[in-house]
Amino acid sequence: MTLAHRALFTWFILLVFLILLCLRLDPRTTWNWFVTFIPLWIFDGILVIYVIIKIIRKWRNLKRLRELLLLYKWNISGVLLTISSQLFICLTLEFPQAIPIYVTMLPISTLLLLAIIYVAGRLRKREGWLL
Amino acid sequence: MFKLSELVRWLGLTEFEILLNLCGLLMFTITLSLKISGALNNIALDVKSDWFAVFSPLFFIDIFNAYFCVIVGIRMYLDSDNKRKALNRFMWSTYFLVLIAIFKYLLCLKLSGKTGLEYSEVFSPIFVLLQLVAVRACQLPNSI
Repeated sequence: MTLAHRALFTWFILLVFLILLCLRLDPRTTWNWFVTFIPLWIFDGILVIYVIIKIIRKWRNLKRLRELLLLYKWNISGVLLTISSQLFICLTLEFPQAIPIYVTMLPISTLLLLAIIYVAGRLRKREGWLL
Repeated sequence: MFKLSELVRWLGLTEFEILLNLCGLLMFTITLSLKISGALNNIALDVKSDWFAVFSPLFFIDIFNAYFCVIVGIRMYLDSDNKRKALNRFMWSTYFLVLIAIFKYLLCLKLSGKTGLEYSEVFSPIFVLLQLVAVRACQLPNSI
């Protein structure tokens, strides 16, 4: 898929999610929050398939799995943290008192922290500053 | 799914702006956790149940981003021969920042109970921004 296709697909998923979110937040509907998050689950599923295909394509050249996992550490940790963040947010919204808010926010904070480290690393490499 | 360079190309934000936004979001998750757990009410009585205090990291980051965009816009306009490109970049950054800031402001008002707007109206700046982002996606070359 080219960048334009991927961008338009992501845009469409986001649009559907935001429409569902608006409908759920207004008092007209009382859907389960897991249902509201369906577009994001679909996106996550495709993301997982995308990463697996990426790894399998590389597997032909690299024999050691550990090497491969290290190579794709950012992709794998990003996908896992995204899924766990959404799962915890849905659980908290559906059962408000069941999970402490700090536990809910832990995966998303970790994801943001990892993203900051990644982007700062890229900036440091390119510009030779930061960190 | 996207490389950082691809996101920069699609969204029209620089890596530095993305970094600033991520930092703001991280701070926001912390303040949101404090607010929901009720710890913020114990720390500062003045900001009790005020959603603007919770959203303040995001507003600060918007101000930093606006400053950055103005500086980049002026430098691009003065240094580059292509003035049109500099203006386009400045206009896009302005649209992006203004729409996001309006959304956050409306959301704060809604959460504070100071407005009778529905959530679909609160989200309207984001829908407008999504249309602009879709136009940018259509302008991307098919060869990448």
